[in-house]
Amino acid sequence: MTLPVGAGNRIITAGYDGTWAGLADTPALPPAAAVLVRDNTEAVRAVWQAATTDRETLIAAATRVGDEQAQEFRESGLTVVRGDEVQPPLAERDAEAGRVWLLTSGSTGRPKQVAHTLESLTTVAGDQPRRTWLCPYATGAYAWWQVVTLSLSLPGQDVLFVEPGELDRWPQMAVDAGVTAASGTPTFWRQALFRSGETLAQLQLEQITLGGEPVDQAVLDTLREVFPQARISWIYASSEAGAAIAVHDGKAGFPAAWLDRETPGRPRLTVEDGELVIASSKAAEGMDAAIRTGDRAEVVGDRVMITGRIASDEINVGGSKASASKVRGVLLDHPDVQWAAVRGRKAPLVGQVVMAEVVLADGSQTTDADLTAWCAERLPDYSVPRRLRVLPEIPIKETLKSDV
Amino acid sequence: MSNALSRDQVRTMMAEVLSAQGKELPADDSASLETIGFRSLDFSELALRVEDEIDEELNFDAPGLRSIETVGDVLDFLEQLQSA
Repeated sequence: MTLPVGAGNRIITAGYDGTWAGLADTPALPPAAAVLVRDNTEAVRAVWQAATTDRETLIAAATRVGDEQAQEFRESGLTVVRGDEVQPPLAERDAEAGRVWLLTSGSTGRPKQVAHTLESLTTVAGDQPRRTWLCPYATGAYAWWQVVTLSLSLPGQDVLFVEPGELDRWPQMAVDAGVTAASGTPTFWRQALFRSGETLAQLQLEQITLGGEPVDQAVLDTLREVFPQARISWIYASSEAGAAIAVHDGKAGFPAAWLDRETPGRPRLTVEDGELVIASSKAAEGMDAAIRTGDRAEVVGDRVMITGRIASDEINVGGSKASASKVRGVLLDHPDVQWAAVRGRKAPLVGQVVMAEVVLADGSQTTDADLTAWCAERLPDYSVPRRLRVLPEIPIKETLKSDV
Repeated sequence: MSNALSRDQVRTMMAEVLSAQGKELPADDSASLETIGFRSLDFSELALRVEDEIDEELNFDAPGLRSIETVGDVLDFLEQLQSA
């Protein structure tokens, strides 16, 4: 079998520092396996087998999969592997060679299973400069696979994997490993700038990628200040639609000129009833030709801004509809606000009221009342947050997305 | 309920809700809510403030609907809810 082109690339996890090819000694997995991993070391071992043999593989952090879902994997013909524990499938069938299953991020409930191949997960091609990437994403998530397939398919693309428990100290780990390219959610970047700005500035970053959440101009501008030489990219991708939009001009959103454009090999982007709709050849199998993303898209001047999830964006305040993403945008425009999350909270008489959590810049003297006044000047009455909490730091989930 | 707030404490919170909008809470409990500009959204905010303070969700279903027209009505109602 031909080895992947990136077989000689270096990968670093908490338990392994070597090349992809160096993982060849790992004990063989069953031909069709759901590998529920404790860490990235177990994950890269499973990846290597998926890349070099005709297997069917699902890789997910063990913490994301409950017993019931594991049982369903077995019923669907997959062996469930957790460390040394191997639970055989409950249905006999042949492995589907080359199949890679992904679990969606599950922001709308339990993670769903979508079908890919290593090829459909590989979205970067052509000559790329030699780089050492940081991979902070949840093991097995679409964004995680993006970094993994990049490293497998192109020479000179090394990867430092970060475990969820190491997220507080990733800037120092990245400095030590000589990371030159890093991919993370806007929340991840905001938190790093807030918490470890000085260490972060020591990194020689040439490529900064943001994805997984709507990105605002403030975080792009701050990253530009800290890393004036880096290329800053925003990628819109999902497990279902694949990587569909890549913007490199340092501006939030994407050019409105890209809407309704037919370009061979590129997804077709449209906005229908305020929702972003994508038709892509990199979509997971079994998806509709045009995927309704559930993300709200708004044309502002010559840009299309992705402002948030449609389902969770609307807050019904006594019959008036407040937009969580709009309120969040107003809060983030305040010079002292580093981060903001906005949601509806159950309230008597009006059903829901808008509540917000914010993290302020170091040493800021801004008060709740100042922020309320700021919002009141810019938003209709019902959209002004009625409960405001100032948090000491940005809360972060395993997916690296904030709960907004 | 051990954490229950006194009528005076709730009154102070009510004044805070109004003051955030540049309005003042009169000393007279018979003042009408309509006159002082205390609306349902303000009432909701006050209820959430009380909930946060006592660290418990108020059960609005239990006491049933009643007419709340004055400052005193608001204070009575929240007092009643806390002891429900």
